[in-house]
Amino acid sequence: MDLIFLLAMNGLVWGLIIALIALGLSIILGLLDVINIAHGDFFMLGAVGCWFVLAAGLPFWVALILVPLVGLAFGALVQQLVIKPVQVSPSLSIVATFGLSLILQESVRATFGAAPQRISPPVSGTVELFGVNYDVYRLVAAGFASAVLAGFFIFLNKTKFGTRMRAVRLDKDMAIALGIPSNQIFMATFAIGASVAMVGGIVASPITSIEFRLGIDILPLCFMAVIIGGLGNLPGTVAAAVLISVTEGVLTAFVEPTGARIATLLFMCVVLLVRPQGLFSRG
Amino acid sequence: MLSSEKNNSLTAAPRKLVIVLAVVAIVFLLTAPWVVPALSSKFWLNVISEMLIWSLFAASVNVLFGYVGLLSFGQALFFGLGAYTYAITTVHLGWGFWPAVAACIVVPTVGAGLVGLFAVRLSAHYFNILTVIFSLAFFYLAVSAKEITGGDDGLPFAAPRAELPFGWTIEFRDAGVQYFFILMVVVLCFYLKHRVVSSRLGLSLTAVRDNHLRASLVGYNVYLVRLSAFIFAGFLAGVAGMLFAIFSRYASTSYFYYTTSGEGVVYMIVGGAGHLFGPVIGATSVILLREFLSAAWENYLLVVGVIIILCTRYAPEGLAGIWAAILARLTGKGERV
Repeated sequence: MDLIFLLAMNGLVWGLIIALIALGLSIILGLLDVINIAHGDFFMLGAVGCWFVLAAGLPFWVALILVPLVGLAFGALVQQLVIKPVQVSPSLSIVATFGLSLILQESVRATFGAAPQRISPPVSGTVELFGVNYDVYRLVAAGFASAVLAGFFIFLNKTKFGTRMRAVRLDKDMAIALGIPSNQIFMATFAIGASVAMVGGIVASPITSIEFRLGIDILPLCFMAVIIGGLGNLPGTVAAAVLISVTEGVLTAFVEPTGARIATLLFMCVVLLVRPQGLFSRG
Repeated sequence: MLSSEKNNSLTAAPRKLVIVLAVVAIVFLLTAPWVVPALSSKFWLNVISEMLIWSLFAASVNVLFGYVGLLSFGQALFFGLGAYTYAITTVHLGWGFWPAVAACIVVPTVGAGLVGLFAVRLSAHYFNILTVIFSLAFFYLAVSAKEITGGDDGLPFAAPRAELPFGWTIEFRDAGVQYFFILMVVVLCFYLKHRVVSSRLGLSLTAVRDNHLRASLVGYNVYLVRLSAFIFAGFLAGVAGMLFAIFSRYASTSYFYYTTSGEGVVYMIVGGAGHLFGPVIGATSVILLREFLSAAWENYLLVVGVIIILCTRYAPEGLAGIWAAILARLTGKGERV
């Protein structure tokens, strides 16, 4: 029972991190009509960026501020250089992001190295939680990820800029006709998506091994969250990310991790065929 | 009449150029086992074999994207199925070469039929994602079924030996013999692809690609057309996977991963989607680039990434598209050659 609780908690922490990546994936797909294969690599860049900041002798919180800011600028630049010229064709844009993914991975391999690295969490120790000693950092990570998620939804629903983003997603042509600067919105959406994924990478960096292939492994899970949650349903995506991750975590108590992954994939196929609008969407 | 005569006189020179290039290519491919080792080393013969195999794999992606407008990031599934069908039937079941080859044609084709039943019903984004998901499911399945697939280590086997009538045999240990076998199979598959895309089915494929709504309104069964293309593409990818397993004497679980599908997509885009020989041009140039760059620089994939992005931006029809545009300019005609 303790083991299952532990696995479920770990699943919850990872689910919130995956939600951070999947949200960006979903808004980029919703607004720009781009399936961003390089999105997992933004997550990887966050973790690697955090490692570089710590290696420079700076504290963890500096990474937490600096890396997402750099990520915003980087995301905007990438959108202008790589995505914007091919945005007219969704298929070409997928291919372009595949090229981007190769570039990001190889740049990291050239500078950071191919060997996996680990960093120690900024807070260590354990607390007793329902009779189980649980890692404090993971709780902090879960709290921080939830706070960023909440901030994201407040931004999207309460600010003028967020309202414009939702308008463009709802009806691109109408939004442009009403004078919403769609190019700015596209750039900002991509930048925010990239930055939020990097936050996920920073939060995850002390609890994973950091390497240039980190993004390749996590991307499929994020796509599953987007599909199971329903394309365009952002709260659904978060719920699906947590659901997938906790379920897989608990399943690993009984079967091998790959078996748990196959079960999730099958579940996703069923969702796609029976409820293509997603598990948490109406109509 | 006057204008057509004018065109004919102008096309004469480029047409000659195309014929000369084709003859050079054919002569080179037929004499490669003797010419290539004489010029440099036997190593390059294997590189050419590899180019042929990846051309075939890219052709599979091309059938779907170039002709029917469906971008599949999951062709790795059928590539992996082809490779593992050969490895499993020969290693675990002890089958001979020809029965194994037959199985390698049947299994990926049937697999494509089953996946296609679900996948081609979906709209573009869902199709992209679902094809990836299916290939991932088999990747994890292959990784977990260690006793059958060898898990992360893959499944190695001895160099195949094929019996022919009259006591003849094909010895794959001989790089030249292996090369001719691969060349023959790949040429046969490209001929088949040519026949398919220039048939009535091929016309309906492009009709669905250009406007599936209109195609369905004039009476095409869009679902069936897409399904046929998906099955044919699965067959091509399966044969490519089988050839690659025979060539490397090994089946690896990584063949199922979406990054393998990505390679096929890259070769197709760089070469030119929708052109018969686009995949060949793409696979040949990217692999050539890899062989030259990787010796000099470990991170050569960076260059490949940049080329992909430049291609999507400036040459969405790839090298074949550029070539066709040059020919069109030479002949003064606006149409594709």
